[in-house]
Amino acid sequence: MTAQAAIARARRDLTFSAWLKVLLLACAVIGVFVAPWVGLGSDGGVLVMVVVLGIWVALSIRSMRGSRLAAGSPSLIAAGQFEEAERQIETALRTFTIFRTVKLLSLHHLALLRHAQKRYHEAATLCRALLHQRLGAMSSINRQSRLILADALLEIGDLQGAYDAIAALYRQRLSLPEAMNLLQVELDYQARIGAWESMARNIATKVQMAELLPTPAAARAQAMLALAAQKTGQTDWAEFLRRRVELLMDVNQLTSARPILWDLWRQPAVQPPANSESAGQISRESPNT
Amino acid sequence: MPGGVFCRIVEQTQAIQPFADPFANVQTLIERSQPKPRLPWFWYLLGTLLLLTMVAAYFGDSHPQAQIAIQVITSVLMFGLIGTMVLMSWHVAQQHRNEQQKLQAVEEMIQLRRWPQAAALLHELLGAPMRTQAGRIQALIFLGSVLARYHRFEDAIVVHNYLLEHVQLDPVTEHGLRLARTMAMLREDHLFDADREIAELRRTDRERESGWLALVEMYRDVKTGHPDEVIKIFQERLGRMRQQLGHRLGEAYALVARAYDLLGQEQPARDAYSRATLLCPPAELHRRYPETQPLAQKYPASPAPAGWLA
Repeated sequence: MTAQAAIARARRDLTFSAWLKVLLLACAVIGVFVAPWVGLGSDGGVLVMVVVLGIWVALSIRSMRGSRLAAGSPSLIAAGQFEEAERQIETALRTFTIFRTVKLLSLHHLALLRHAQKRYHEAATLCRALLHQRLGAMSSINRQSRLILADALLEIGDLQGAYDAIAALYRQRLSLPEAMNLLQVELDYQARIGAWESMARNIATKVQMAELLPTPAAARAQAMLALAAQKTGQTDWAEFLRRRVELLMDVNQLTSARPILWDLWRQPAVQPPANSESAGQISRESPNT
Repeated sequence: MPGGVFCRIVEQTQAIQPFADPFANVQTLIERSQPKPRLPWFWYLLGTLLLLTMVAAYFGDSHPQAQIAIQVITSVLMFGLIGTMVLMSWHVAQQHRNEQQKLQAVEEMIQLRRWPQAAALLHELLGAPMRTQAGRIQALIFLGSVLARYHRFEDAIVVHNYLLEHVQLDPVTEHGLRLARTMAMLREDHLFDADREIAELRRTDRERESGWLALVEMYRDVKTGHPDEVIKIFQERLGRMRQQLGHRLGEAYALVARAYDLLGQEQPARDAYSRATLLCPPAELHRRYPETQPLAQKYPASPAPAGWLA
């Protein structure tokens, strides 16, 4: 399913379910207040109410299926089962639901999937479409979509768009995982624009935050901070963080994803470890290999 | 900094804060937190609605002169009942949301190592019947972590045993809990039980190749005085531990440093200890593994930049 098709489908279903809800509510009001006055009697009103209630319960039960499908896809994405996740999201998007949240959640999961698949243009399109919707109580979706959007735009090279998305997040209260994600995106953005001073500000706190990330993300964030420390002349921090990164992750793997980080190992005195294992092996000859 | 989250970071080396022990009786918390069966309010209200309809129909037929008054009263009562149903559903949903937010707060506090706050909030949550069984299980898993942080390993084992014996868990959570229980057993010197548990974990762990299990095995071998085994496990499974342990890889380096030290190989011990303290604060390493404390007197910790809390 393309991003545009998913957006069109979701918009159509959202409009249809909104009109259906208005219609059912109108029927209920008419049934209770109007029916007795037009000769249908109280029994007629009750009958209309029961029919409306029945339709509502039936639609809710049908909508539960979509909710279940929507709930399952993030774990599939996290496990790397993209095809299965895509199938579930597509089914959830095609299933009619009376609940607005299910449709919006499915759209969000599709954006998450496209981001994980490195289809950044589609991820950005989906996030933008989602952010144009009235998200109301779903504020966490709003924040997560902005984070995905910022990262996708950085990958595409749209720095202005990424800045706007990051700036919007500063106006919201974030949970810890969201703040951790924002730290990664922000460091990436600042490294691209060469804002080394800003990156190196409050470096100790940022390093503590980076320590909470999963290993590859922790290594990348600390490498970015090491680079910022190097550029701002804080050599003790640069050396400390560079040595940590070497222990945590294969330097070649890290720098192939972010070539700018090669600068950390380009200094005359610093040689990158040959491979991941050598970084972890303990030398019997020298204490500081 | 976004959302004021960074300001909540606390020092890693922070000593255990003195606090009034909120977990005096863990078994009581386990029992008290059991969710109460909910009253089927929805069906009661639906029944009342139907009863009201029948009563209105009966009086309407038997008192035709009061038809209009009955219709008005019935309509108002019906909307009143529907409004009550909506309000009650909203109230229940709000309570669920509050509980969920508290659990999320506990998780964040544990991550940020704000142990006294996490302990107090867990006591509040588990001290009364919880809303959902899933929330209670999550809270008990957090309780196990906090108890271990306060070196209440026997109590942590009680919580882990309860969860593993009474709750149907997904394989990943079950594996994590069993690892935590084994670590607590090792800290309490239940070496036979720990060894049996490790053998069982190794049997079920073939596909997962857990770096955490390697760490537990290394600790067992340090405790039982098998330094050669510690070094062998470290060398064989370093790649896996590196992928999975994050900064807690420093713990593996600390244990292998102790193993080299036991063998009298000072240079590799010094090297490993330096790497361990590069990743983790020495105080935290020695708190987690008291057996590594002698290393602090013999080898220098890795130098940290000015301003680093470690």
